[in-house]
Amino acid sequence: MRKLMNAEVMEHDFKLRQMGADVQVINSKMCFVVFLVGKYEIAYVYNINKKGKYFLERIKPYPLALREFEKEEDVIDIIEIDLEQFKNASNSHNIESFVDINVNFNRSLLKFEDLFLYYNVPKETADRIKAHLNSIDTIIEETKHTAERLYFKKNPDNL
Amino acid sequence: MENQLVIAIGVFVVTYLLIMSEKLNRTAVAMVGALLMVLLNIEAQERAIHYIDFNTIGLLIGMMIIVNIMKKSGIFQYVAVKAAKIAKGDPWKILLYFAVITAVASAFLDNVTTVLLIVPVTLVLTDTLELNPIPFLVPEILIANIGGTATLIGDPPNIMIGSATGLGFMDFLINLGPVVVVIFIVTMIAFKYGYRMHYRASDENKRKVMKMNEKLAIKDPVLMKKSVIVLIFTIFGFILHQYLGYESATIALFGASVLLLISKVDVEDILFEIEWTTIFFFVSLFILVGALEEVGVMQFLATQLLELTKGNMVLTMMVILWVSAIASSFLDNIPFVATMIPLIKSYGVMSGLDVTPLWWSLALGACLGGNGTLIGASANVIVSGLLQRHGHKMSFGYYMKIGFPLMIVSIIISTVYLLVFII
Repeated sequence: MRKLMNAEVMEHDFKLRQMGADVQVINSKMCFVVFLVGKYEIAYVYNINKKGKYFLERIKPYPLALREFEKEEDVIDIIEIDLEQFKNASNSHNIESFVDINVNFNRSLLKFEDLFLYYNVPKETADRIKAHLNSIDTIIEETKHTAERLYFKKNPDNL
Repeated sequence: MENQLVIAIGVFVVTYLLIMSEKLNRTAVAMVGALLMVLLNIEAQERAIHYIDFNTIGLLIGMMIIVNIMKKSGIFQYVAVKAAKIAKGDPWKILLYFAVITAVASAFLDNVTTVLLIVPVTLVLTDTLELNPIPFLVPEILIANIGGTATLIGDPPNIMIGSATGLGFMDFLINLGPVVVVIFIVTMIAFKYGYRMHYRASDENKRKVMKMNEKLAIKDPVLMKKSVIVLIFTIFGFILHQYLGYESATIALFGASVLLLISKVDVEDILFEIEWTTIFFFVSLFILVGALEEVGVMQFLATQLLELTKGNMVLTMMVILWVSAIASSFLDNIPFVATMIPLIKSYGVMSGLDVTPLWWSLALGACLGGNGTLIGASANVIVSGLLQRHGHKMSFGYYMKIGFPLMIVSIIISTVYLLVFII
């Protein structure tokens, strides 16, 4: 099995180099982590390598972009906080629409990417999308000031 | 003693059957079998260690280290793309050049490593040429097993035979090299005419191959130079080892150590890539077969062989060649050869004959026999797995229709060669 995997890596490496890439193959361990919170499965995948870099990504209930960490503790801390926040959120009566909105955001993002990569999108359409996004952003900002804060262990990363 | 004999045969037969069944991991099965031999006092612990052929183990590990470092440089891909461009993208010429590369590489590296290096590039090229990869990969499997037959280090059975008998690199090359060249030519002619419809590509796709850049395949030019230099010195070491009085393992491990030192690669990563399951399989087999020697099974079987052949060397050679070939088509040739080595040694002692020709029969039968079926050799299994991952299925029957007749042809050629030149 390992031999087949190595052969496949070699094939990819060869193809990508012919496309002009610089490819580095690094031995690493990939960890899949799954928690069950209420009826939701919270799943993460992270990669540990000898260069001391950790790549963490949440894959369920909705994907969260890949992030790079310097220390193993950071990965565990992030998962711990994330999980705690999900546990809190799972008690909210809004949890279903919260997950649903996030799933839809991700789906819309993929559709938007396809739209721009496959079609010649008129400027007015791009402006309309921007305007919609701004209004969503405004709702989020406004709600931040009016809603009660529930989690204090760390400050929000993006808000 | 009689109880020990029964237990030893019982453990050996059950282990062998379990390995053959492929239901359980062969290394785990062999390890349990070997340790049962020790636990049941068939062979004492010190004797068990004595039976492990550390020359074979050292040679395997040494060559694995050299190859693992070398392949990081991209040299194999460089040579393959260069060959494809010299062939001007012509599918038949690409196959022919790749067959030569495969034969030469498998003579100096083990067959599985060779196919693992050549097959990924072949798959990319057949993809580019929009051709079915199977008519390219089947000859590559056969040629890898054929090329490996030519030298002491080309195939594990030869490594084991060389280590057990003291026959050196040049002995193998001189005695097996010529017949391997003939079998190579016959095999390639068979493919040229049998599969000619599959070796046609459009000019547009040929141009795509010509656009490939071999220089992009080189990952580390300094490492490439260092590893080529070390490999050349190591091969010289193999050529001279018997005259210098060194074991082949010493040469391989020295080359490996020097390359580890000068290549600046991550030593831990390289040692991690060694096929430890194969190494432990060998170690366990040596202990298992050693137990049979301890209780006198090998002497008994040698007596039977002597009675059957009446000491007739030609008949014995033919029996060993054909039985090895047919057995190796369906069974793992490593345990088979591990069992045959002490048997032939005992036969030599009992008959008082020079058994050197029997070693060539065993090497040719065990190495070439692997071409007979899809499960006959590790290289075949690996290529079949790679094809499956690419959505191409090569069935047991499909491979056997091509591999088995060509294997029989190669054994007929070997028979003639042994009768005319060796005896």
